[in-house]
Amino acid sequence: MPSMKAIKNRIKSVENTRQITKAMQLVATSKLRRAKERIEQSRPFFEILSQTLSDIEKSNKDFSSPFTHRSEGTKTCHIVIAGDRGLAGGYNNNLFKSLRINDGDIIFPIGKKVTEYFAKKDVSIFTTEYTVAADIGISDCNSIGASLAEAFLKGEFTSLDISYTSFVNVLTQIPKTQEILPIALDEGEKSENSLILYEPSPAAVFAKIVPHYISGIIYGALCESLASELSARRTAMENATDNAGEIIDSLSLQYNRARQAAITQELTEIVAGAQN
Amino acid sequence: MNTFQLQIVTPDGLLYDGEAQKIILRTTEGDVGILANHCDYVTPLSIGIARIITDDGERKAACSGGMLSVTDGLVRVIASTFEWAEDIDVERAKRAKTKAEARLENHNRSEYEYKLAQIKLKKSLARLGASGRR
Repeated sequence: MPSMKAIKNRIKSVENTRQITKAMQLVATSKLRRAKERIEQSRPFFEILSQTLSDIEKSNKDFSSPFTHRSEGTKTCHIVIAGDRGLAGGYNNNLFKSLRINDGDIIFPIGKKVTEYFAKKDVSIFTTEYTVAADIGISDCNSIGASLAEAFLKGEFTSLDISYTSFVNVLTQIPKTQEILPIALDEGEKSENSLILYEPSPAAVFAKIVPHYISGIIYGALCESLASELSARRTAMENATDNAGEIIDSLSLQYNRARQAAITQELTEIVAGAQN
Repeated sequence: MNTFQLQIVTPDGLLYDGEAQKIILRTTEGDVGILANHCDYVTPLSIGIARIITDDGERKAACSGGMLSVTDGLVRVIASTFEWAEDIDVERAKRAKTKAEARLENHNRSEYEYKLAQIKLKKSLARLGASGRR
């Protein structure tokens, strides 16, 4: 049986760990509330944007845009969004496991963990400008959207998809991959006589809006990923806190037993000494 | 004066939802004013000052990117950024303006940097203009 002092030290160290995990859990909980609000707020923007894109496409019979055209070749650019930090359960790993990357594909990493993960692999990286996922705002998404749209038109890749962790609820987060380019619009009936006036022209409006559409998707995915990361961290830290509590309980039991054993032994020794 | 329903959305949420008499926006083709009973219309927006005239008077804002759409009398401004004049950080806009101007003066810059500085300058000018302190 370990000595009383050793057990006491262990209890102390586990208590310290519990304090840290508890604090991390509280921080994640309060940040999660804000992240959830952000998801709600960003939704209408994106919905209206994609609605307009499909309206334009539907209302024009002889309409073709390079953004909807599926070209030859299979070079894909993957935008991968994960966290900046660990200690979030399986959040980062689950996403990495869900990735399907072919030879010659390009990676656009967002988040420190993704950058580290792909640094070890033999893949080409689009840019490492956006390594800290938490710092990216809407204006960064706009420049990402613009540069990706430009690269797509230049033919640097033939399709673009985004992998992120979708936030279902506080307990469930699912890694997901969604195709962005070429844009797949609903195959609805094309109405011939649309009276919508596009200025300067439907094609020009479409071309102008696509980068915003891409940045809208990225921003939405970023918001969801952030909320997923926080709730994954919260759950992981909650479990860690509970486990620490259990360990402390069992260690206290051991400590008390050791203390009692020591007292009993001392008493036996005294009694034995008095009898002599 | 007749009014129409106006919605302003950005990725940060729904900023305005209510009646308006008139809205003037900077599009890629120039300034455009929308009144009630406008025909269905879609156009992309550029960086500039937005003016919204409601029954309570005129409000100004700095607006950039996105688009303007009119469908069945509902006018939607879907912008990347949209800041009401009273929310604009004037000091920050002034700093951005000086910085962008300095970048444009510098001749060893790439084409990309030049474009970026131009956009930054436009944005800061729109902000200062909307807040009335150019």
